[in-house]
Amino acid sequence: MDRRIIKHPLYTIVLLSFIFFVVVPVIYTIGTALFFDVSFNDNLQSLDKHTFFLLSKSIVIASVIAIFSTLLGTTLGFLLYKTNIKFHRSFKIILLIPLLISPYILAVAWKDCFFIFFNNTNLIPSYLGVILVLTTIFTPLSMLIIGNALSNINAQLEESGFMIINPSKIILRITLPLIKPALITSFVLVFIFSISEFSVPAFFDVKIFTTEIFTQFSAFYNHSLAILQSALLIIICVFLLFTERQYIANAPFFSIGSKGNSNKTYNLKGWNSLSLLFIFFWFFISILFPFSILFFQSLKDGTSKFIQAFELLLPTFSSSIALSFAGALIIVFVGFSAAYFSTQQTKTKNKKSFDWLLLLIFAIPSTIFGISLIKYYNHPVLDFIYSSYAIIIIGYVGKFSFISAKLIGNAIKQIPNSLCEAAQVQGIVPFKRLLKILIPLIIPTLFITFVISFIFCFGELGTSIMLYPPGTELMPIKVFTIMANAPQSLTSSMTLIVFSITLLMIISFYFIMKPFIKNYSYTND
Amino acid sequence: MIKLNNITHTYGIKPVLHDLTLDIEANQLTCLLGSSGSGKTSILRLIAGLEIPKSGEITIDNISVTENKQILIPPHKRTIGFIFQDLALWSHFTVYKNIAFGLTEQKTTRRQSTKKNIKDTVFKMLNFFGLQEHAEKYPHQLSGGQKQLLAISRSLVLKPKILLMDEPLTNIDVKMKRKILEHIKKLKQNFNLTIIYVTHDHKEAFAIADKIVVIDEGKIEATGTVEQIKNSENKFIKYFIEI
Repeated sequence: MDRRIIKHPLYTIVLLSFIFFVVVPVIYTIGTALFFDVSFNDNLQSLDKHTFFLLSKSIVIASVIAIFSTLLGTTLGFLLYKTNIKFHRSFKIILLIPLLISPYILAVAWKDCFFIFFNNTNLIPSYLGVILVLTTIFTPLSMLIIGNALSNINAQLEESGFMIINPSKIILRITLPLIKPALITSFVLVFIFSISEFSVPAFFDVKIFTTEIFTQFSAFYNHSLAILQSALLIIICVFLLFTERQYIANAPFFSIGSKGNSNKTYNLKGWNSLSLLFIFFWFFISILFPFSILFFQSLKDGTSKFIQAFELLLPTFSSSIALSFAGALIIVFVGFSAAYFSTQQTKTKNKKSFDWLLLLIFAIPSTIFGISLIKYYNHPVLDFIYSSYAIIIIGYVGKFSFISAKLIGNAIKQIPNSLCEAAQVQGIVPFKRLLKILIPLIIPTLFITFVISFIFCFGELGTSIMLYPPGTELMPIKVFTIMANAPQSLTSSMTLIVFSITLLMIISFYFIMKPFIKNYSYTND
Repeated sequence: MIKLNNITHTYGIKPVLHDLTLDIEANQLTCLLGSSGSGKTSILRLIAGLEIPKSGEITIDNISVTENKQILIPPHKRTIGFIFQDLALWSHFTVYKNIAFGLTEQKTTRRQSTKKNIKDTVFKMLNFFGLQEHAEKYPHQLSGGQKQLLAISRSLVLKPKILLMDEPLTNIDVKMKRKILEHIKKLKQNFNLTIIYVTHDHKEAFAIADKIVVIDEGKIEATGTVEQIKNSENKFIKYFIEI
């Protein structure tokens, strides 16, 4: 491809806009809190034993969740991606459902469960609740990462082992060591997501570091202390992500429809029934049971609570959908720009700089990112952003553009350079090559990235709860604020409605785009 | 016609071509013969302007196209056609659109290219290669041989003077290979072309070449006609042909 394309004005505009709207607020806020705040020394004194106790607690909980998710993800990934167990194709999709819903929905479901069976929601131990819900949410992510790594192992590597040792030893000595990068990626990503998670610990009333930051910010209005505390969390997340950046940046699960090597599948023999039972058990625990509970709870007194929940959420429908739609469009555009220019064959040294910036913002916990945006935009000059929906969209773009860039980047990498070079030789200008060759070939990925971004924006709470301007009504925020004082059945009804709308939107997008996608799905041989 | 003067080329720190000088004569079919990694494809890509050498000069018709690490004339102004090893057929375009795309997109610069002209030109090409029945098919619906012919038609539709072919017959059965080699031989006369054909298969080279250039580790081992190469006493060539 054209080496000079990196100087394209579009790249410069998108990069500079991202820096100005997303990166500068974070640097400005953290910089001023650490270096120019007069109360810095006082705040530093406030970082006492209690702060470090909360931080340690967050680290322990996040580590436990990351270990459980990785272990369960490895088991499920192996069973569904490396064996021919019954229903493996369907389960590969069905078990991803928890990943598509906001964590608080499952939290509500489990509290409901204890309410139904014991008439007391406090019976579920808070820590256990947080670990259970977040493990349920993040296990599909681990399964996806590890399952993809397993199916990308060249079959010959394992087959050559069959000549020497038995299958169980092959799994332990060949297969698992080969997917070590995926295991590390799974642990690091789940750890970062868990340590940054705010809604579930808050719902279970577990005091951890993110809830403490939120309290300092929203209850005591001590922004400087909140930012100082945040800095500790950022250091941990950035350190972990940058240590593993190579694995994470090239993680195969970021690819949609990638072509792997021929996959070696194992015969489970006597373990078949037990394995199937385990998969059904996990399906029951992570999807069937919580959703049945939600249904039961919301409809046990007839449809009155359901109607009430619908009426409460109705004013939020249009703004939530419109904002998520706009956010997803911009996220795909930013992700595409970053991915396209960083995958060019160019010797430009700064070609990865956009990637690094996206990774940096992705690594920052949602609440801290939200605080940064507020501090930066809360100035008279930038009030038009601060007091409008724009600030929420900026929050979405900052949080999710990294994932979008990775999905699109891996799709672009799968398009052979020769396709664009063939057009280059024929005198097709770079813009036309992009528009008529590259983009049509990655249309399915662009669409899936849009849908994923939409789902993420639609359920986002951590950042938007900090940012929403007065008078703004967004669905997750409305549910979260009402659920504190609402009866259990009303909360359940609201979460079910949120889930149904998410599902409805996915189905609508699918049917709108189906003919379009079909025309652009090709057999590349 | 094409001259490569003292070309040195590297991929990162890995040297590919060492001070290579090569003359390609006009209206001849020159085969670059060598094993994998010998630098054959790099020569094609340098001639096409898809890569820039570390040093040296490339001229086409006595006009310098690449010199001092600079592309002086961009690929599309070198009047070349390129057939890639993977054929690089645009899978989202029909057979017709694959051939017409270059013509359509260049119509602003070639004002005489009206829609009807383009259609006529494309169908002339399809008829020549026996692909007229497949005009509305997509590349994945064609057989291996038809794909090769489509890639050739696409390259020829813009009337290049030079056709660069990078191992185009990989993964083709022997019978189809023979048929396409016959086609390639005819192209030279019918389209008045200078062809550079890269291959690692000496049988392919012997079947079609006017001149063969044997390359090993980025250096030219020998140059000559088919007979001269067959009878060469050069140890490497003897070993390579025996294999």
